[in-house]
Amino acid sequence: MAAKEDSFDIALPPLIKAISANEVDGFDESKPSTVHPLSTSVFRIEAASMVKEKDGQGTRDISISMPPSPVEAHLQNTKRVFFTSGGGRVDENGEAKGARFHSQPMPKRNPVYDRRFDSFKTWSGKLDRQLSNLREQPRPQEFENLPVHRYFDALEGPELDTLRASEEIILPEDKQWPFLLRFPISSFGISLGVGSQAIMWKSLSSSAATSFLDVSPHINLILWLITAALTLTVAVVYAMKTILYFEAVRREYYHPVRVNFFFAPWIALLFLALGVPPLIAQTLPQYLWYVLMAPILCLELKIYGQWMSGGQRRLSKVANPSNHLSVVGNFVGALLGASMGLKEGPIFFFAVGMAHYIVLFVTLYQRLPTNETLPKELHPVFFLFVAAPSVASMAWAKIQGSFDSGSRIAYFIALFLYVSLAVRVNFFRGFKFSLAWWAYTFPMTGAAIATIKYSSAVTCRTTQILAVALCIVATVAVAALLVNTVVHAVVLGDLFPNDMAIAISKRRPRRRWYHKRSGSSDSNIEQYLKYIDSDEKDVEASLHSSSPNSQD
Amino acid sequence: MEIQSSEKSCKDVALTVLTRTHAGYFRIALSLGWQALLWKILLKDSRMAFPLLTILWSFSLSILLLLSLLYLLRCIFFFDMIKDEFSHHVGVNYLFAPWISWLLILESAPFVTPSHASFVVLWWVLAVPVVVLDVKIYGQWFTKGKRFLTAVANPSSHLSVVGNLVGARAASKMGWREVSVFLFSLGMVHYLVLFVTLYQRFSGGDLLPVVLRPVLFLFFAAPSAASLAWYSISGRFDTGSKMMFFLSLFLFTSLICRPCLFKKAMRKFNIAWWAYSYPITILALASTRYAQEVNDGVAHAIRLFLLALSVLVIFGLLLFTAFHPNLLLDPTPSPTHHPTTFPTYLSAN
Repeated sequence: MAAKEDSFDIALPPLIKAISANEVDGFDESKPSTVHPLSTSVFRIEAASMVKEKDGQGTRDISISMPPSPVEAHLQNTKRVFFTSGGGRVDENGEAKGARFHSQPMPKRNPVYDRRFDSFKTWSGKLDRQLSNLREQPRPQEFENLPVHRYFDALEGPELDTLRASEEIILPEDKQWPFLLRFPISSFGISLGVGSQAIMWKSLSSSAATSFLDVSPHINLILWLITAALTLTVAVVYAMKTILYFEAVRREYYHPVRVNFFFAPWIALLFLALGVPPLIAQTLPQYLWYVLMAPILCLELKIYGQWMSGGQRRLSKVANPSNHLSVVGNFVGALLGASMGLKEGPIFFFAVGMAHYIVLFVTLYQRLPTNETLPKELHPVFFLFVAAPSVASMAWAKIQGSFDSGSRIAYFIALFLYVSLAVRVNFFRGFKFSLAWWAYTFPMTGAAIATIKYSSAVTCRTTQILAVALCIVATVAVAALLVNTVVHAVVLGDLFPNDMAIAISKRRPRRRWYHKRSGSSDSNIEQYLKYIDSDEKDVEASLHSSSPNSQD
Repeated sequence: MEIQSSEKSCKDVALTVLTRTHAGYFRIALSLGWQALLWKILLKDSRMAFPLLTILWSFSLSILLLLSLLYLLRCIFFFDMIKDEFSHHVGVNYLFAPWISWLLILESAPFVTPSHASFVVLWWVLAVPVVVLDVKIYGQWFTKGKRFLTAVANPSSHLSVVGNLVGARAASKMGWREVSVFLFSLGMVHYLVLFVTLYQRFSGGDLLPVVLRPVLFLFFAAPSAASLAWYSISGRFDTGSKMMFFLSLFLFTSLICRPCLFKKAMRKFNIAWWAYSYPITILALASTRYAQEVNDGVAHAIRLFLLALSVLVIFGLLLFTAFHPNLLLDPTPSPTHHPTTFPTYLSAN
């Protein structure tokens, strides 16, 4: 049964209001039934006007605290207590036994011990006990592998992170979740963005074509140190998230857009190796390359194999611009290996990357009708198109030893894509800022670095001006993004909003109750009742979900 | 069907054999042919191995002769079955298999050199049907109403690509450079299209029945064959060949790491198991060329591993086939006549 959550900010009609007290016979009783894990995290309002469902499937009759008025509820930010269906015990940690009758608002509880997030915790004792209590299901229902079409059904937006209006999530919506649950893997994009800047300033200071600018190598040093610190911080935090909230990490892995960001930490490490200042290390040991590429190889074997043979996650369905991140890692690795002097390894990764890049490029250009993730409007994620050809051109130049025709072909393709996006910059409007945007700046920087390399090979006024112009654009973009990030972090405080994408439910809600995203006290009961009967959104949602289902 | 001791038994046996021998049986000939070629290249400098090579080659030749004879009889007596194979999306690709097998036997003959006149004549005899099939099948991909590529593409379509590449390789051995490049480019262009289409898997449901999963090994057979063909054309194992070889190696590793894909196909022995053998042999051949070019430890290790694997697999398959003589007589329908495709089989023309 899909559990849902309701807000108490609606003005309830007197009928329901009266019934919510403990006078109704059996209202607060709980039927003994098998424990549903979700019963511990969410609960359901039982209005006596509705038929009590006796499906014996683990329905919990739970009483909730009904505030006397919506305004008061809003002010108090009532903490909800939930029950298991075993006679009204709150939880096994020794809170009140027996059915609790709540007609008063409950006191605010310590947020540290908020049990609603236990279902995501890795080593929550509650989860283990629930697992052992379940008889018919070996795993909690919500925590089986989410099929990919659920992500498409429940989420929308270019990064698939906005919840559709008809969907519900299994974590509380109106409360700020623990920080680790709100920390997405796309935060590694910051390392990508700043790391590529470090490489760019290194090229600017060391390249012969741009020597007229007289760029100090210290900029590279400072940026490199910042990148190293950022990468370390993000890695530590995400490692803690993996240890403490493994379920959230698993859901990110099954998310069709976020899975590509699992390549980002390794690409960031490759950037660190590429941009290492001469002061710190002149040459890097060769075994380091093998160490850095091993995780990328394993991830690739898994993900490209899924494209080829994984039933639901075939490319025509899940292809989205973020897939470029899974391909660009090959080219970055080839570039690093070739600059270290290796021969065969870089060619290996270049070949694999090229083959899969061609597939991805064709698929994305086709904009297949079965592909649901491509945003209809332009979005910064499209800049990822520029990443692969520009890095491929640099890698090929390093492998061959000179910026030859193959590199130039790739470079010109990158330039063309860059220009065709740049002239449409007016259409990049009206998007919600997210940390993933940092990942989209590295293609611009990559194109700038490729231009610097190109101008070293073909040194003339035009190429030098082009190199400088692209570097300026990249720097300005990163600076603007930095300002935006600081503003969101410090002033607005929503740098890490609740990560809806990881909390979607396994099943679409069938019986939809009145659903509100944010508390507001002016909705009336007519709307409430209307939504119960209306199926308009249902039809729409089922239209979306029917096509992937019929193809699977 | 048991062999009864009535006078009709011979006729029944013959009938069963002919009806069951579809083009997929040429997988055996393909595997043996590639093995013969592999050992010819490995041992070509050693005079001592000449008898061994001759034995291997003769064995392959005899199997191929037998299969060709059976298939010819089938053409004569059961021509509509051939037509059904042609209209089946998997069966049509195996129509390339006889020509590829004969080309391989030709190339791996221990006593025939490519400049010999008979070689040239035979090459033309074998390459022309390949080109004719190409024109027919590739043309269908982008023109014919129901048999366009996204509807029919499946891993066995790689066999048409391999056919072109083997022809290209043989042609360049003869010194006919332009013809060789022609066939190579034909094969590579369609490989590109096929690669993208198969990776996209637009049609969702797998067009390959579960019992034919071993055919997935063809995914890495095509790039290995391309690497070998390019090696023959350009004269040395240069970056292009290396890249195709590495791609093939990656796809091989990717498939090996997914044993559960093949679990259902391994329940009962059937002729599709032979599809495991020749892609590994082609990859072993490519790795031999690679190790010759890049003389270091890793390359030789890969080469030895693949050689061992290919020999192991073909021996295993020979043993399995020897212990299942009812393979030809088994009334189990062949994959082309799979029950789920029966309606199309009956109505196709």
